[in-house]
Amino acid sequence: MLEARLAKASILKKLLDAIKELVTDANFDCTDSGISLQAMDNSHVALVSLLLRASGFDHFRCDRNHALGISLASLGKVLKCAGNDDTLTIKSEEDGDILQLVFESPNVDRVSEYDLKLMDIDSEHLGIPDTAYDAVVKMPSGEFQRICRDLSVLSESVAIDVDKEGVKFSAVGEIGSGAIKIKQGAAVDDDGAVTTVEMSQPVSLTFSLKYLNNFAKATPLSDTVSLNMSADVPLLVEYKCSEIGYIRYYLAPKIGDDN
Amino acid sequence: MGISGLTKVIGDHAPDAIKENDIKNYFGRKVAIDASMSIYQFLIAVRQQDGMQLTNEAGETTSHLVGIFYRTIRMVENGIKPVYVFDGKPPVLKGDELKKRLEKRTEAQAAMDAATEAGDTENIDKFSRRTVKVTREHNEECRKLLRLMGIPYMEAPCEAESQCAALVAAGKVFGAASEDMDTLTFGSPVLLRHLTFAEARKAPIAEIHLDKALQGLEMSMDEFIDLCILLGCDYCDSIRGIGPHRAVTLIKEHKTLENVLANLDKTKYPVPDDWAFKEARELFKKPDVIDPKDIDLQWKDPDEEAIVEFMVGEKNFNEARIRTAVHKLAKLNKQGTQGRLDSFFTVKPKDAEQVKLGKRKAEEKKEKLAAEKKAKAAAAKKKTKTPAKAKK
Repeated sequence: MLEARLAKASILKKLLDAIKELVTDANFDCTDSGISLQAMDNSHVALVSLLLRASGFDHFRCDRNHALGISLASLGKVLKCAGNDDTLTIKSEEDGDILQLVFESPNVDRVSEYDLKLMDIDSEHLGIPDTAYDAVVKMPSGEFQRICRDLSVLSESVAIDVDKEGVKFSAVGEIGSGAIKIKQGAAVDDDGAVTTVEMSQPVSLTFSLKYLNNFAKATPLSDTVSLNMSADVPLLVEYKCSEIGYIRYYLAPKIGDDN
Repeated sequence: MGISGLTKVIGDHAPDAIKENDIKNYFGRKVAIDASMSIYQFLIAVRQQDGMQLTNEAGETTSHLVGIFYRTIRMVENGIKPVYVFDGKPPVLKGDELKKRLEKRTEAQAAMDAATEAGDTENIDKFSRRTVKVTREHNEECRKLLRLMGIPYMEAPCEAESQCAALVAAGKVFGAASEDMDTLTFGSPVLLRHLTFAEARKAPIAEIHLDKALQGLEMSMDEFIDLCILLGCDYCDSIRGIGPHRAVTLIKEHKTLENVLANLDKTKYPVPDDWAFKEARELFKKPDVIDPKDIDLQWKDPDEEAIVEFMVGEKNFNEARIRTAVHKLAKLNKQGTQGRLDSFFTVKPKDAEQVKLGKRKAEEKKEKLAAEKKAKAAAAKKKTKTPAKAKK
């Protein structure tokens, strides 16, 4: 059986907000080292990969590996019933077809229990090769969110250029064009407010803003975001969420004329 | 048309093989379209409110052009790159089938004339749809339009389905779009149905995978071809009295058509005289196609002025509408195409444990179904038994 307790239900709420736009149903794979999720969006353009380490939970027990097929919309509905500071416990039996959620208010005077029906999801697992990326940009997550939001006024896609100086986001659309340059800051203190660029060679790629805006929904999870890029491979956008794990998004680039 | 009952057979035995998808999930895919069949569909389906075909001032039909033009734009809008494949000359074996179709058309024509005389509008509409035939001019006009739109097309030496299948098998395109199930019999790994349907119908696209179908049926490709012939194809007669269910059991038991014939009760199921199943099989296995290696597919920019001249000048379409449509086409061709993750990452085989679990579940389901069936059959038997007894 699986039993896991999180000190704050808000973490799971935020995680869910960060993925529910991309995928509707997904398998949560539970092992004794933690809970992970990998799912592609319907059109096979983006992939989200989530990891919650066992050590990040207050209490974690998983006797046998198994997958929990969950409708994210339904889980979202149930989680709405939890207060942000509530302690959250999830339980499930290996052969059962329900997931039990227990919310306890901070002073333990209110205990609510919900049972969520599980579903059979036939999902494909993708093998993601370890890639040494040509360029890694670490920047404040709020800044990234704003750039994506601002540029989507102009166009459906954004070009990201990385060189020694910094990183440039630019979009060209019917009404005009726009570009935002972020200079590489002094990477002395790690308070999350600086942008750093590590690169072996300049990179220039184009991505769909619709997806990047979706990824930016993970902003509340982390102060910094890292964009990992190499020519002609999918972009990796990673948000590290404190102790407990990470959420990673992969996005296939837009390809110029291949005729 | 196609293979009778194959969709149902695959649906029953290999439900995994058929996936339903939205058209927008096919962006970035190249797709080979059976043009002749689509044009036929358009001629039947694209009609005015009174059921008459769309025509220009001179009274020439334009339904096929509307179809090709707007449905192609819809595909391009969704990021699909279409290639149209036209029928060449029909194989000799199809002669009988074609003759039958001609007879049906003549019949329908006669019925339509009768209906016109009687002023029966409902029947006029019904029968006029049955008299539809794709002429050389229709094909020629569609080719011209495609050329102007910058969409590649090619002529198959023989059947378009088989050429589409060859293009898919060679990896030139992602899938073959046709309503004809024999595209699978010709060995197309992926068949897309309903791709050229009107948007208003909201029909999801059915994606059928040959390998999964074979897996589900537990058959080899050769057995599958034999099964299709037994179900009934365009190239030879089928055996009267053998339906989808019996066909599957027969092939599973005897593996080849020769063995089936040797073990078949011929008084019960009369085999047609000089049944040409061997020739049909040969046609499915080695269809007459152009080697996909020699085919270069190129999508070009549309020639707006020429399209306007053709569609508006010759065919009396509304200029403003045609121009906006062409602009869509031009704009989309310029934009970079969105890549797909599956071209970068590979699908991991499922771990043994998962597969086992899946299998167990599937088996449980099967058992349940079988049990239900038995119960039903038993109930049915009881019913039939009682009247028999009553007779005695």
